[in-house]
Amino acid sequence: MLNYNSPINDTKKYPEIEISEVEPIIKLNLRGKNRDFITKVGKVLSIIPPTDPNTSSGNDNLSILWLGPDEWMVYANDKNALNDRGILEDKLFNEISKVKLGSVTNVTDHLVMINIRGNKVFELLSTGCPFNFNDFMNSKGATTQTLLNHVDIIIHNKNVNDLNLFVRRSFSNHLWSWINDSASRL
Amino acid sequence: MNKNLRTTNSNFIDQTSRISFKFDGKTLYGFKGDTLASALLANDIHLVGRSFKYHRPRGIMTCGSEEPNAIVQLGNDLSMTEPNTRATEIELYEGLEATSQNCWPSVNFDIGAINNFLSPFLPAAFYYKTFMWPASFWKKYEYFIRKSAGLGKSPTKPDKDIYDHRYLHCDVLIVGGGISGIIAAKIAAQNNLNTVLLDDKNNLGGTTIFQDNECFKINNSYSNEWLKKEIESLNSFKNLTIKKRTTLAAYHSYNYLLARENLTDHLSLDEKKNKIRQRLWKIRAKKVIIASGAMERPLIFNNNDRPGIILSTSIKKYIDYYGVKCGQKISLFTNNDTAYETAISLNKSGVSVNSVIDIRDKSNSAIVKEAEKLGIKIYWKHTVVNTSGYKRINSIELMKLSDDGTAVVENKTKEECDCLGISGGWTPRVHLFTQSGGKLKFIDKDNIFLPDKSVSEQISIGSCNGDFELDDVIKNSIKSIKNFLNINSSDYENLKINCSKETDKKNIWLLPSNKPLGKTKPFLDFQNDSTAKDVKLALREGFKSIEHVKRYTTTGMGTDQGKLSNMHALGIIAETAEVKMSELGTTTFRPPYTPLTFGAIVGRNVGEFFDITRRTPIHEWHVEQKAEFENVGQWKRAWYYPKSKETMYEAVQRESKAARDSAGILDASTLGKIDIQGSDASEFLNRVYTNAWSKLEIGKCRYGLMLNEDGMVYDDGVTTRLGENHYIMTTTTGGAANVLSKLEDYLQTEWPELDVYLTSVTDNYATVSICGPNSKKILSKVIPDLDLSDKEFPHMSFKNALINNIKCRVMRISFTGEHSYEINIQSNYGKSLWEKCIEAGNEFNITPYGTEAMHLLRAEKGFIIAGQDTDGTMTPVDLQMDWIISKKKYDFIGKRSLYRSDTIREDRKQLVGLLTDDPKEVLEEGAQIVAEAKKKPVEMLGHVTSSYFSPNLNKSIALAVVVNGKKLKGQKMFVPMENKTINVTITDTVFLDKENKRLNA
Repeated sequence: MLNYNSPINDTKKYPEIEISEVEPIIKLNLRGKNRDFITKVGKVLSIIPPTDPNTSSGNDNLSILWLGPDEWMVYANDKNALNDRGILEDKLFNEISKVKLGSVTNVTDHLVMINIRGNKVFELLSTGCPFNFNDFMNSKGATTQTLLNHVDIIIHNKNVNDLNLFVRRSFSNHLWSWINDSASRL
Repeated sequence: MNKNLRTTNSNFIDQTSRISFKFDGKTLYGFKGDTLASALLANDIHLVGRSFKYHRPRGIMTCGSEEPNAIVQLGNDLSMTEPNTRATEIELYEGLEATSQNCWPSVNFDIGAINNFLSPFLPAAFYYKTFMWPASFWKKYEYFIRKSAGLGKSPTKPDKDIYDHRYLHCDVLIVGGGISGIIAAKIAAQNNLNTVLLDDKNNLGGTTIFQDNECFKINNSYSNEWLKKEIESLNSFKNLTIKKRTTLAAYHSYNYLLARENLTDHLSLDEKKNKIRQRLWKIRAKKVIIASGAMERPLIFNNNDRPGIILSTSIKKYIDYYGVKCGQKISLFTNNDTAYETAISLNKSGVSVNSVIDIRDKSNSAIVKEAEKLGIKIYWKHTVVNTSGYKRINSIELMKLSDDGTAVVENKTKEECDCLGISGGWTPRVHLFTQSGGKLKFIDKDNIFLPDKSVSEQISIGSCNGDFELDDVIKNSIKSIKNFLNINSSDYENLKINCSKETDKKNIWLLPSNKPLGKTKPFLDFQNDSTAKDVKLALREGFKSIEHVKRYTTTGMGTDQGKLSNMHALGIIAETAEVKMSELGTTTFRPPYTPLTFGAIVGRNVGEFFDITRRTPIHEWHVEQKAEFENVGQWKRAWYYPKSKETMYEAVQRESKAARDSAGILDASTLGKIDIQGSDASEFLNRVYTNAWSKLEIGKCRYGLMLNEDGMVYDDGVTTRLGENHYIMTTTTGGAANVLSKLEDYLQTEWPELDVYLTSVTDNYATVSICGPNSKKILSKVIPDLDLSDKEFPHMSFKNALINNIKCRVMRISFTGEHSYEINIQSNYGKSLWEKCIEAGNEFNITPYGTEAMHLLRAEKGFIIAGQDTDGTMTPVDLQMDWIISKKKYDFIGKRSLYRSDTIREDRKQLVGLLTDDPKEVLEEGAQIVAEAKKKPVEMLGHVTSSYFSPNLNKSIALAVVVNGKKLKGQKMFVPMENKTINVTITDTVFLDKENKRLNA
């Protein structure tokens, strides 16, 4: 039996801020350029990938984030949303990658998802992120790829003052410490 | 406090809150709201420090950031003390301790003051001229010069304070909370713009907020009363952020600005504990409105630097704002109307004004008439020719000016005083405008530089844009703001403004004296002790550019960067050299506007957060095993695993031997991994690597070498074909991000026709590498179902497998030359898999080895490390890897460059092996290689790139690059070191198992 070791596995609370690692859930990177790719993804997932920059689409189970003109990320909204992670990946891979419509890559363990919520979410981000959140904070579903304390991150604005932050696993411990240090000083 | 020096009519000082502080060890008292400067003046202390060069007594001269003299050492804690802080900007707090600078043993008796008597022998550039010969003596001079150089003392221990950074984005940023800034903020906020207003003081309002004079009214209210109500009205705007105690430090291109906010500098020692001291704001503004105001100029005359000589508006601020009298018998010396406002304020507060000495012939403005009405004596067309009083001014001498203003006439008049207010007109603060790249224009009428062409979305308003009269400030500001923000109307359309208008102007940069210039000391730069005669000397010695004169005389240098001195220096240079001020230009205004602490610049990027660190999924295991770590890029990689008291050498020897004798295990998770999919994936690899990929079978691996466009080796790694259109590429640890960017760049810009998609999966997989003769046995215990026979799973092939139902990819590839496997598994199972492999390998003495042993093992086999054995100047041919360059392929990155005349030269530096004559002698990496030991000059043929003592070969081995190395095999060479010369022989690069038998052992 192999043991599962997520890098953070913790939740921290500060005045008006709560930060937690969301237990790893499936994350897939999708890349494709043509309309057939979009249609196929829409058919398999029952969600059309957004084509407007820095937006997302989704349902109760899944979210699709726009990452670039030919790149998206799909992630499950909670770990119970998908009973069998492999089925979704295999289905997409077989119907997209294998038939040369685009690429499907599993990045579940590549990225760590950290949920940050509370009234001071954007104040926290302003301590190390150069992105302009003025409009973003009021746009539910907005996404961005930016830097936090010089580390590449993806942010998905789930709801009012409630967002998911994705960071590469190798950076996650460092960024987690940094975010907590920052939150403790707000 | 001296009660006689305090008035009770200030609204800005809380005279019910007494604060104790120490200056030069003496306990003094001030009030809440005081600055250190106002509190010192209230204690009748003018002498605050000594000047830099002549150690002349110096006092408080201004009330703001331009202060050149009153700079003090704050605090005495070795980690918190701060030098060169301006007493005029330090808000008084309980427990404040400040000391004078640049004096010993005390500010009152300073040994260095002997320099003042030696000043005739210390002209401009004295040090440059004197200490350049004989050259060999410099080391001796340097000791003494360095000791006396610099102002203040730096802290010697780490800063205990906490600093912070924040990003801020806004529609409109307004810099300066004076009357024009307040108007701008209100108009912007009323029009729903996300507005930020910054001011460096703790109260908004600039100089108008204490302009309590009948001559200056807005809508029939005194200007200060009207402004106060406007400031109060700003509180109702939710879209307006006001940041007080915040100084705009730098204005960069595209409206990117840095501002420092002082959060606790004004709090008592107890109150500031565990709080963020300063915050650096990184601001992106769509539009910027600069309302930074203007600085009052001094006047340049003999002995104009004595304690007690203060800018006239500062005297007004001290009396009207802080309720502090700068003296009991004050004289004023001016060339404009400003000093008359001061005279009236002083008179109103009961301070005796001796006289106003005005270099103009006359003035009929309302404010002058009011002063005359109050009976204040005015000396028209007069100048001050000298001042007396060593540690505090006690008298002045004045004389009448000639009609042309170049000389003095008639008899001297002596006037006793304890304070002299001076006003030489106003200099707009254009520093921020020029920092942003804006160009200035010179206005002859007012002798000022003003903003001309800007390169950003910005405007300057108010006195920093040359409007000095109240009505001009308000009306022109409103007009500019409306135009800039595309607004049709504002609340300020029909303001009724009454103000005094200046009717006469006269400017003399260097005022004449009854003595020759050489016998006087008319100071220009008060901090650096640079005088008008120093500037003239520089011109006589051939310096013409203002930038050269600045550096030769030090005018405009120092902590104040010549805020007060620059304009006069320019004026005197222009007059002497007979050129126009506009042609002369200015010195460069560089950020920061006022000095920033290192803490503010660094923010929280200290200690643990100094640099980003990356960890592998197996990191914790390495920590538990007390591994030593090596920084590889940002990764923390296990370097070696010392047992008990093992040295690094001993540990590496043990690990290397174990890997060859039985089994070793390496955490290779840091290698870059790029998932490649698409119908053109094979063609893509053909183009990025030097060798051919089309025929690589599914399930097979191949080593590839990637070149730069110049044909030089850029990166290398093994790529595996996972499916028809699916590959996984590995890159070097340090090169991963750059390789992905480069390849993505090629796909987007050079080869958009290729159907290829790249995705980084570096962090998705933990990679466990098991090598050694027993590796197969260990792997068969970990994955019993996998057929590991050479037939089914040969070297350079790959298999999908399941370990406890978890998918993994197993590659049979080797970086050590041993029979090896690399298992790639989802990162979150990495640590558990590693432990499982260790457990399975226990019976074979499986030994974890770090990066150092890995380097040694690959060097035994002559495998290169891109970046260690290559340095951006090595082609594959130089590395003796000709075999990897496909001759059949149409093209690949760098191909053309491989056939340039320089790259096909036979005598390029080439990779070779080196063996030392003494097998125990280990060469130093980087050591030079020569053919003749005693030849001079030394002809260096190459250098050692990798060097180790091989426990498996029981001798020292090395890789090196040597000119024409390929043809020198067997040749003797020399490696000259500091104390000895080492004899070496050039060999093949492969030291161990040339036949690759161990790969299949």
